Amino acid sequence: MKNLFLFSTFLLFTFFLKAQDADAILAKVVAKINAVNDYSVDANIKADIPLIKILPVNATIYFKQKDKFKVVSKGIAILPKQGFTDMNAFLAKKSSYMVVESGTKTIGDIKTTQLTVIPTGENSEFVLAKLWIDTKRSLILKSQITTRSSGTVVVDYSFADQAEFGLPSQLIFTVDVKKFKLPKSVAADLHDTDNKKKKDAKDEKSGTIVIKLTNYKVNKGINDSVFKEKN
Amino acid sequence: MLLKNTYNEFVKILAKPRSYLGIGALTLLIGVILFAMKADGGSFISFVTASFEQTLSFNGNILNGNLIGFIILQMLIIHIPLLVALVTGDLISGEAAMGTVRMLASKPISRTNIVLSKFIAGAVYTLILTLWLGFLALIVAKWIFGTGDLIVLNSDGLVILQEQDIMWRYGLAFMVAFLSLLTISSLSICLSAFADNSIGPIVSTMAIIILFTIIGSLDVSVFDTIKPYLFTTHMASWRSFFEDPIPMSKIIQSVVILLVHNVILVVIAIVKFNKKDITS
Repeated sequence: MKNLFLFSTFLLFTFFLKAQDADAILAKVVAKINAVNDYSVDANIKADIPLIKILPVNATIYFKQKDKFKVVSKGIAILPKQGFTDMNAFLAKKSSYMVVESGTKTIGDIKTTQLTVIPTGENSEFVLAKLWIDTKRSLILKSQITTRSSGTVVVDYSFADQAEFGLPSQLIFTVDVKKFKLPKSVAADLHDTDNKKKKDAKDEKSGTIVIKLTNYKVNKGINDSVFKEKN
Repeated sequence: MLLKNTYNEFVKILAKPRSYLGIGALTLLIGVILFAMKADGGSFISFVTASFEQTLSFNGNILNGNLIGFIILQMLIIHIPLLVALVTGDLISGEAAMGTVRMLASKPISRTNIVLSKFIAGAVYTLILTLWLGFLALIVAKWIFGTGDLIVLNSDGLVILQEQDIMWRYGLAFMVAFLSLLTISSLSICLSAFADNSIGPIVSTMAIIILFTIIGSLDVSVFDTIKPYLFTTHMASWRSFFEDPIPMSKIIQSVVILLVHNVILVVIAIVKFNKKDITS
């Protein structure tokens, strides 16, 4: 009985220490993200998504704390609904989640620490997030975010000259496309006798969106009117 | 003589109030669509992109003049044949109904040329209707909604075409749409050669379009052999210019079938009118 008590105490203590470590690691990452008050960046967006044919598009992305976000493009640009800035906004609210360390993984040649972020609120849009963090530079190198409405989004991050602010030079989003369906009444080509073509995204389960980010302008100040202007 | 008679036929078309009815109806229809899109176009777009928007966000001016033009063309290509047939279905039978056919045939012009001049005059009217449709659907829509990339929903998914890659597609699409409407014009002129009243050819033309469209959309194997030869199957081939890559062989096949229909219908009309008893 005494041994069992000691073992349980040890387990709890270990878990507590791990959680403390995880909190500290994530706190450093969040601090880095929060150091960015605003930024604008040129983006080249290349989407390879089943059922959607689109050429690469150039756009300018604007962000301002806490959650102002705007994409300005001459053409139509497709971005993932989740995983861009909403994750940062979520992580900034420490009280809305708990975090535990859940292993390590080498990404490229960098050893990362895996953190699992679990929302504490019952109605949170986020169900679970896994973050792979380069603890030396306090950068998220990979994330896997599961949300209620969008399924799972995996994001691979690359960093270059703006690593000090935690701002990536490239993002590769892998999105869930199982739910994609064409509205039959619109898609049904009245005169198309080739039924073989008609399909949903059942066969393909994921699509990728590659965003290359260049020419960052960080903390230079962005007028709020930018976020109100109609695209 | 053919040109002179064609000019006379066109003047006759212009003199009929129903010719302006078509243009007026087209203007009203497009006006209603433009108003509806301006008022609540967003929900129309959401209906198309809803399943994608759970995961993806579409940024940029989606509801632009290019998309409105596409929507209008898609909506109205089914209804414009009625406006065409309303005028062209009357070209020969109207003469018979009014008793002017004898006077017409007594002119120093062959009956073949009479039919050809009516066909050309009908084609000019159809062209004007198509150009008016293009003006309202594209130029006015772009003026109201601005320009931008075109998002098209095909049976194999969403195709997003860049702004600079659209106008030439519209140019070719309108040409094929004109050819489709010209087929309707030829059909109604052909039926007009068989009738002695105005309403018969107009109603018959619409009945044939409805019948062929239903046969074309019925997914029943018994019609599979005839579907590729129905002109209604190829009336929507203008849409293929908005696919990527463009199925050129499919479009050429459609154009050839529509042209063959036109030739056959005009020949039938000529033969019938040449044999027509106009003395009784």
